[in-house]
Amino acid sequence: MTEPGRLVSRDMDRWPAARLQRYQLRRLKKILHYGSSELPFYRERFAKADFDPRTIKTLADFARVPSFAKKEVLDALHRKKTFDVGLERLNRAESGALCMTSGTLGTSFLYLPKRWASIRGDSLARAYRWAGLRRGMRMLMAAPAWHSLAVQETRVIQRLGATCVIPWGTFLPRYARHFLDAIIDVKPSFVTIFLPMLYALLGECRIRDLNPARAFETVDSILVVGAPMTPLARLNLRQQLGVKDIFEGLGNPEGLTAMECPHHIGHHIFLDCCYVEIVDPATGQLLPDGQRGNVVITSLIPHGSVYIRYDTEDLGAILTQRCACRRTWPLMEVYDRRANVLQIGGQQLVPYDIRSCLDELPELVNIPFAVVRSASKMERLTLLIQKPPSGNLKEIGVRMATLLRKRFNLEVLEEWAEELPQRWKGVTIIEEKDWRGMRV
Amino acid sequence: MNQPRRKSKPRSAVRFSARDFRLLRAQARRDPEKFAATVPVVTLDDWVSAKITSGDPYSLRWGKNTPPKIAFQLEYDTEVALYIACDPDVLNVYAQALRRCWSSFGIRRGDRVVIFDYGTSPVSYLASCSFTPYLARGAADILGCLPICNDGAANLSQRAVEIVKFVCPRVLFLRTDCLHPFATEFNKGSTPLSSYVGALVAVENEGVLAAADRDAYQKNLGVPIYRLLRADAALFLAPECARCGLFHIWPDLYHVELSEQGKHGREGQLLITNWFAEHCQAVRYLSQVQAVLERPGCPAKATDPRIGI
Repeated sequence: MTEPGRLVSRDMDRWPAARLQRYQLRRLKKILHYGSSELPFYRERFAKADFDPRTIKTLADFARVPSFAKKEVLDALHRKKTFDVGLERLNRAESGALCMTSGTLGTSFLYLPKRWASIRGDSLARAYRWAGLRRGMRMLMAAPAWHSLAVQETRVIQRLGATCVIPWGTFLPRYARHFLDAIIDVKPSFVTIFLPMLYALLGECRIRDLNPARAFETVDSILVVGAPMTPLARLNLRQQLGVKDIFEGLGNPEGLTAMECPHHIGHHIFLDCCYVEIVDPATGQLLPDGQRGNVVITSLIPHGSVYIRYDTEDLGAILTQRCACRRTWPLMEVYDRRANVLQIGGQQLVPYDIRSCLDELPELVNIPFAVVRSASKMERLTLLIQKPPSGNLKEIGVRMATLLRKRFNLEVLEEWAEELPQRWKGVTIIEEKDWRGMRV
Repeated sequence: MNQPRRKSKPRSAVRFSARDFRLLRAQARRDPEKFAATVPVVTLDDWVSAKITSGDPYSLRWGKNTPPKIAFQLEYDTEVALYIACDPDVLNVYAQALRRCWSSFGIRRGDRVVIFDYGTSPVSYLASCSFTPYLARGAADILGCLPICNDGAANLSQRAVEIVKFVCPRVLFLRTDCLHPFATEFNKGSTPLSSYVGALVAVENEGVLAAADRDAYQKNLGVPIYRLLRADAALFLAPECARCGLFHIWPDLYHVELSEQGKHGREGQLLITNWFAEHCQAVRYLSQVQAVLERPGCPAKATDPRIGI
């Protein structure tokens, strides 16, 4: 049944694949028409590429739509010297706000009117329900106002009738003290948080000599965003925090929503709001399911800033597995930023791969590390690792080297540090020149 | 600004939510002296004590049987964290107070507004219904403006400068402690700030930028700088008037007095009574703000009570 304010029915995540494809094609055609008729950014791009949106008849055709990346948005921003670069149609009669992208590649702006927030928020509410948020439950809302997640969560909380507490400050780890106070004082049963902040909360518990499970005793579910979490890291966090489950969300303000259901096999792509393609970064060709490539997204919401075939520069894959929950929305995984890909020993790795491997050593689960990347060809892996609280470093190093050799056929050079440099967004690559500079 | 961390001795908890607001309000209007003589002053320490002794996160201020829809942790460096709890009605009137502040700073329909403060500051969360659950209309929604926020951390000044340059707001609200880093960052460029922004508003919790500092920054940046006083524990906002240079108080929303030492025209600590937060009462809240009560008579709004800081 379709509810007011929703674009699609609640059972859409169980539609058969053919019906989903028809739905997505219809929405893609609409958004293409909207982009080419209403938004100067696309009018100009399509004209320049001699592309006619009316020629798109199938989903496969859609790959012919010219894609673009953040740099082109930033170029337009600097050329026009204004936030409205033609990706949006401002509607002064409608409430709304401007938000920013977080800026790993540079700051750009998104215009998010109320209708955008309603559609995207209602869509996201589905994921919060999967994670257990229900009417009347208390939630800790951690997203700051500048972030599009705050705009969406505002709608989710109202939609689901939850209550919420907002801790002072922002999601930077240095505000962990306030967040922990809010969790202990107000006793939420549902927490949304950025993964680096969750680790900072564990650190704050250590400072207070407080068992994390005690601090989180009222919390049933945690929904984390902002950095990928390996399966073993999740298991360890669940055990430490004593919570029933931890869910991971993927998303970006430009359009992507992909969230985990309780089976945790991957992230279901929210087909009501976005269309996802995985593209070979070298050729621009679509890659089959299971292969890693650039994540290209199209927002299906014809309001606010509209991103059509936007190359997120994330490295991801659409998974081949079917989820045990029997939802038909496909699963995906995002591993890291494309810029963090390591060419090493003839293979492509991302820190997520290394993390998965290190997590197999109990002493190194959730212990921060960084890969020191060389500008020249890398034949071996150089890791900077924070010293774990217990264990013999030499012995751990030997086991780690054996594991990495077995898994990736790589030699490793490890360096132990008391603390890693503060990298609030969980950045795990340090360029060798910077590392050398830091040590001088 | 943050106040020094206080140590409180737990005392027997006093419920702060049980008073009849209508009676109090009538009394404050009819006989302010009796109101002052009979209604006890409440301090942050009292709320800290109430929280410690009762275990109630809202310091026994929340007056409904149902849990609050939304609670905000406050920016005070007290022994324990304090919160205000709100229902949608309170939130919406509080947003009206911010809307009045915006109007007094000359913000009109179609303007853009940049806020360089945390999302948990009322200057941010009351700005738009996009930012805050259960807020029906924020100041920007009421006035028809487009807001944008940037976290109020000093090291995000570069991003604040970028926002200002691309958004060209009518007004930039910024935390007082971000003013210096913002000015330093902006002055790295050569274009005057007045090319991008109409005015700056320096915002602080229970404090204001000193007038001399304001004048210096005004000269340095070349745009008018106004001040906005917050007292978050009392859900209080008071804007500096561009015409008279004093801070206007809206008597339908707040009642203000000065502590004992402030009688007879002398400076004293500002006591705030909030008339709209019936279920999160702040009655005769003793703030840290040193002020002087001034007579009404501003050319902009002749009936408003005013305070000088």
